[in-house]
Amino acid sequence: MTAAASPTVTSLFEEFADGIYTLGYRLTGDRQLAEDVVQETFIKVMRSLSSYRGDGPIAAWLYRIGYREAIAVTRKRKDEPTEPDTMVYLADRSDDDVEREIVSRELAAVLDAAISSLTPPLRAAFVLRDVEGLSTVEVAAALDASESAVKMRLARAREALRVQLKEYL
Amino acid sequence: MTDLTCDELDALLAEFLDGTITDDQRDAALAHLATCDACTIVVTEMRGVGALFRQHGRLRLPDAARARIRAQLEAAEQDPTS
Ligand SMILES: [Zn+2]
Repeated sequence: MTAAASPTVTSLFEEFADGIYTLGYRLTGDRQLAEDVVQETFIKVMRSLSSYRGDGPIAAWLYRIGYREAIAVTRKRKDEPTEPDTMVYLADRSDDDVEREIVSRELAAVLDAAISSLTPPLRAAFVLRDVEGLSTVEVAAALDASESAVKMRLARAREALRVQLKEYL
Repeated sequence: MTDLTCDELDALLAEFLDGTITDDQRDAALAHLATCDACTIVVTEMRGVGALFRQHGRLRLPDAARARIRAQLEAAEQDPTS
């Protein structure tokens, strides 16, 4: 255990809530379920924080819990996905330009559709590596996969998204 | 290192984009990209995909849920027996 910089669950929540929510939404396709993923993840984090040995990056440890929660939640309930236009996107924050917001929402819906065409392991690898910025090693730890498996998933996810989103690039 | 073919560059692409490539491989990849428009487009678009999602595809936990979960965690933090 790291005596020096032992993080509190609330500080981890402030830092990672949006990332876990993003991962949860990308895996479940449902914002209510994504909220459940955040809640369940941080309850588990709180219960097991004392057993976190600090022998790996805390982001990988946390996203590992979040990933498992999202998979578990998806198996439990498979309802109709929430309409993308009710989502709160980071880019929308304090953005008064209506026209820009509409474009942003349309684009968000396009991104939703593109990523939902991937299998969950590809989505998770892409979100953690390319969106949330974890290293390949951290992604491998979070997803219980080998580094080479993560690299393969990333290559497939990036290529599929590149082809689908060509006109927006 | 000899000149790469498009297929050889493709095989290196993931590590090239992640910057986990050796210096020699990196030089060879850059040399290929300098002369190949098709591969340059692929690399640019691959980088663009990540940027697109970082800019428009990250979500923010709604304020109501944020407040509710934070309160739950704070309460449990102060009373670990609950
Ligand atoms: Zn080429």
